Amino acid sequence: MIPRHFQIMIALLLAAILVSGVYILKITHKEQAKSLQRLEERPVAPPVAGKQEHIRVLVAYDEDRALRWRDANVSLPQERYLRAREVLRALLTQYLQNPSPHPLGKGAEIRDVYFINSETAVIDTSPQFADGHPSGILLEEMTICSLIETLNANVPGITRIKFIVDGHERETLAGHADLMSFYQSSAVHDLAKEFE
Amino acid sequence: MIDAGHGGDDNGARLGSKLLEKDVTLALARKIKAELQERGIGVRLMRDGDITLTLEQRAEASNQERAAAYVAIHAGTPGGGVRIYTPAFAVESEAGAGKFLPWDNAQGNYLPLSRVIARGIAGELKRKDITAVMLGTALRPLNNINAPAIAIELAADPDNVQDLTDQKFQNTVAAAVAVGIAQVRAQLGGQE
Repeated sequence: MIPRHFQIMIALLLAAILVSGVYILKITHKEQAKSLQRLEERPVAPPVAGKQEHIRVLVAYDEDRALRWRDANVSLPQERYLRAREVLRALLTQYLQNPSPHPLGKGAEIRDVYFINSETAVIDTSPQFADGHPSGILLEEMTICSLIETLNANVPGITRIKFIVDGHERETLAGHADLMSFYQSSAVHDLAKEFE
Repeated sequence: MIDAGHGGDDNGARLGSKLLEKDVTLALARKIKAELQERGIGVRLMRDGDITLTLEQRAEASNQERAAAYVAIHAGTPGGGVRIYTPAFAVESEAGAGKFLPWDNAQGNYLPLSRVIARGIAGELKRKDITAVMLGTALRPLNNINAPAIAIELAADPDNVQDLTDQKFQNTVAAAVAVGIAQVRAQLGGQE
């Protein structure tokens, strides 16, 4: 017969092991989530080299529901696709600052810009760009217009633009703005005028 | 065809801490339906409950019903009053383009009429002292609709999202939308 005090001690030890196990599991998950987040936020490409240039970016201002041209200084490489990417990243920098005129989700990024031909560009964004984008017809439309107009102002000759998210097609940006179709630059230009 | 945006798994925009866009759109859609019926205009709701419908299903349903007009209902921030949208990226079809239209440009034959309806509703809202702004939009599935198509968005600033559920505001908007549609219908000779 095992003495009673010994039984209690074993039960307490077992309970302590169980609680420690649950605690370790919990902090492991927490650390994994943190490192995953750090992984998503770290830069994936080296900074580009190029001449410092003065560009214009069309910035969305939620408060007064307007798009306004702003100046920016950016290092721009000669390659067209890199130039396109850096111009759009310069615009996103405006949105990711605090306070932001048009807040986007944390981790929102332009991953790359591809050219199917000289006139057709495909903009690839990070998943956070779409997942964290505020939902609403107006807000989504302002994002699309500001990106496309900024691209057209600084990289001439693009007439058709499509968005993909993390390399894949997506139906809408955040429930409203169409991401399946190709946007015609001229039509976006007309739409952007409505916000100026 | 009155299409209350979102629904089911798709909440739409989160308006403040408690309000979901899908609930606001359904409430307004029901009110517009009642107002249109009062004026003797046949009306269908795309959804009359909290169900999930894809954007393609919505366009298909409207086209199969051969709806005389399609009105998508949305709600969002920021702003105030009502924003009325017409498709900005459909390309107006050439005269005699025929019945076969690309899915992405099914709206092509109806753009002028979509704008007439939007103007009619905007005029009626302004008469009732409600701020009404007309804009172009890339909203899906407007371009896939084989009928005049517009979207109506109730707007409020983030600090005043409860305004979106104000019964008086919703009733006034619903009545204005119905009057706007009825007027355009009368001008076009009672086509249903």
